[in-house]
Amino acid sequence: MTAATDTATTDEIGSGIGGWLGYVGHTLGSMPGQYRVGLRQHRRRTIGLTILFVAIVLYPAVGHYVLADFSRNVIPIPFPDDTVSTFMAIFAIMAIGLNIVAGFAGLLDLGYVAFYAIGAYTAAFLASPHFGALGINLVFLGNVGPGAAGIHLPYWIIMIVAVVVVATFGALLGAPTLRLRGDYLAIVTLGFGEIVPLFFRNLSSVTFSLTLGPIVINIANANWTGGAQGINPIDPPFIPILNWVFDARSGPAAVYLGLFLLGVAILVARNLERSRIGRAWGALREDETAAEMMGVNTVRTKLLAFALGASFAGVAGSFQASYLGASTSDFFDFSISILVLIMVILGGIGNIWGAVLGAFALTYVDKTLLPYIGQRIGDIAPSLPNPAEYNFLIYGVILVLMMRFRPQGFLPSRQREAELSVHGLQEAEQEMGIEAEVDNISVAPPGQSEVGPGARDVEVPGEGRDL
Amino acid sequence: MTMTQLPQDIKTGAMHESALLVKSRGVTKRFGGLLAVNNVDFDIPRGSIVSLIGPNGAGKTTFFNMITGFYTPTTGEISFDGIPIVQQRGKRVRSLKPHEVTALGIGRTFQNIRLFGTMSALDNVKVGINVHLKSHWWDSVIRTPGMLREERATVQECMKLLELVDLDNRAETWARNLPYGDQRRLEIARALATRPKLLLLDEPTAGMNSSETREMTSFIRRLRAELGLTVLLIEHDMRVVMNISDRVTVLDHGEVIAEGAPADVRADARVIEAYLGRGAAAEH
Repeated sequence: MTAATDTATTDEIGSGIGGWLGYVGHTLGSMPGQYRVGLRQHRRRTIGLTILFVAIVLYPAVGHYVLADFSRNVIPIPFPDDTVSTFMAIFAIMAIGLNIVAGFAGLLDLGYVAFYAIGAYTAAFLASPHFGALGINLVFLGNVGPGAAGIHLPYWIIMIVAVVVVATFGALLGAPTLRLRGDYLAIVTLGFGEIVPLFFRNLSSVTFSLTLGPIVINIANANWTGGAQGINPIDPPFIPILNWVFDARSGPAAVYLGLFLLGVAILVARNLERSRIGRAWGALREDETAAEMMGVNTVRTKLLAFALGASFAGVAGSFQASYLGASTSDFFDFSISILVLIMVILGGIGNIWGAVLGAFALTYVDKTLLPYIGQRIGDIAPSLPNPAEYNFLIYGVILVLMMRFRPQGFLPSRQREAELSVHGLQEAEQEMGIEAEVDNISVAPPGQSEVGPGARDVEVPGEGRDL
Repeated sequence: MTMTQLPQDIKTGAMHESALLVKSRGVTKRFGGLLAVNNVDFDIPRGSIVSLIGPNGAGKTTFFNMITGFYTPTTGEISFDGIPIVQQRGKRVRSLKPHEVTALGIGRTFQNIRLFGTMSALDNVKVGINVHLKSHWWDSVIRTPGMLREERATVQECMKLLELVDLDNRAETWARNLPYGDQRRLEIARALATRPKLLLLDEPTAGMNSSETREMTSFIRRLRAELGLTVLLIEHDMRVVMNISDRVTVLDHGEVIAEGAPADVRADARVIEAYLGRGAAAEH
């Protein structure tokens, strides 16, 4: 029964910041060859992570002014500014959401940007003067004066609305893809990711008339989404009594709001992972048929993965639009889907902290490091290519190198670790008192093993259903 | 294996009216032109150990898959514990979904082990119990006391099951890293976690040596004795079948060719023919 008590205790460290940090340590404990770390090592890691945590919390407030001066006057190091820091948090929230779909449930979603876009446009519709032109005016607790044109709701309500709307669209996308696996699913989600931004780009002059008995709907040349210009201005997040505004000019405040939302996202994702739905996702990812036979309602489980995963993008999208004060369809390019997927894979698919790390790293490279290097190169040798314009080339190379040398990502999940590591097998077998026969273990070398999440079950529909 | 007191709720409840736990009538399954199972009437008495045997391709696993709702029969009806799993209305045949069947109380193992490889042994068993858990995902998000209580109870119940199959000291090991025999037993523990009344075992002793086979045989007996389970077995090892079964049903080319007590079935000419060919039957 000792194992049972152990598990019970690990389950109980769940609540509070202490438990949260404990969990950080616990998760990071799954780095190669460190499954069973001594208490001292564990403690050292907890201390390290606490320092990291404090550094992240302090950074927006004081750190980057000091560091920026340092960078300007002493040694030139590019530090992320407030906007980039906020985007780090936004992308981390998205990466966590995609990690639920692709990492936990093993459903490759290449159209994740669609949910980001829907979240952003939800915020744009509900907190801008845009609909004033269509004669729709509603001001409720907004930070504009009464009588302003358009709909103005406070961000906090919009965020909840965005989560609900996006989760609904997540389930709507999930429903027709229930029978698809692997590549086929990826293709359908890819289409969805293309369709949604196009909708937003082109619904700028809607004309139709509809007569249903006494109800007559006549819409002539209505601009619903602002077309290519998008919608702006969008009201920023606002706390009325304290008069706090979290917009692009608010400096660290917006970063803190972003970090707060990220913290909530991490907590929610972690709680989901370690619950019955998390286990059902794992079972689904491992063996859909067996999961079905063991009583997992696969339809419900998949829809929940899509809906809950998408809802994170709803938060990210609505926050992004409110923060920037604008929502344009250009922003929601297919490349964002890929970027977020790369973040998840680089970080270590299936691991929440990996997703966060991947998002932080890649956002930093994308928005600070590459432009900085480009600027430097421009100063010294203007004829050389600007790396910022070749960002996806660079990510491609990084991804290939990762797949070759560390396919499990920076912070691998325990499961990916097991799938990809010969060491894991060796260690586990030694642990069981079995002589490890590495030569006989048929594990593909890292470069040739399953790479992306899509490689997990590449099956022709119909062939998947056999026992 | 250590004797363990099992929680009350995974023992089967009070005896129901009918003595038959599974009743199937006229079950037929076609795959295109292939008639895999043809007009099979098959009953499983409550509390018995019944074996389904037959040469390869006789339709045994197909029949299993119809009981568990994985395949919908082309025609026929199956009921479990008085509840219809497969119903026929005119030409339409409707089957419950596998997870609904599991919830009714049928647990199964697979011919080729199908554990969730990179989940721990304990988590594998926890998946089995999933169908009986009440908490919703939003309970998990905010970690309500009810959900935490349920999780604790789940861990305890699953650990008891792991103890029953002698794997409690392997609870945190990934299923794929367990030795073969342990994986077989873990699959049974996972099936037991669904709190079954009927346990379907698809070749539980496949690939085992004779001492492991003996152990498995006595373990299956123990399951019936301690948990009051009814067991349906697909098995190729005749020693196991003859040793353990109350009744044996023989399928060949999708049809029932013999049914009855092990000794009678063994002497049946058609069975010998099916297994060994016509000449052997004549010699016998």
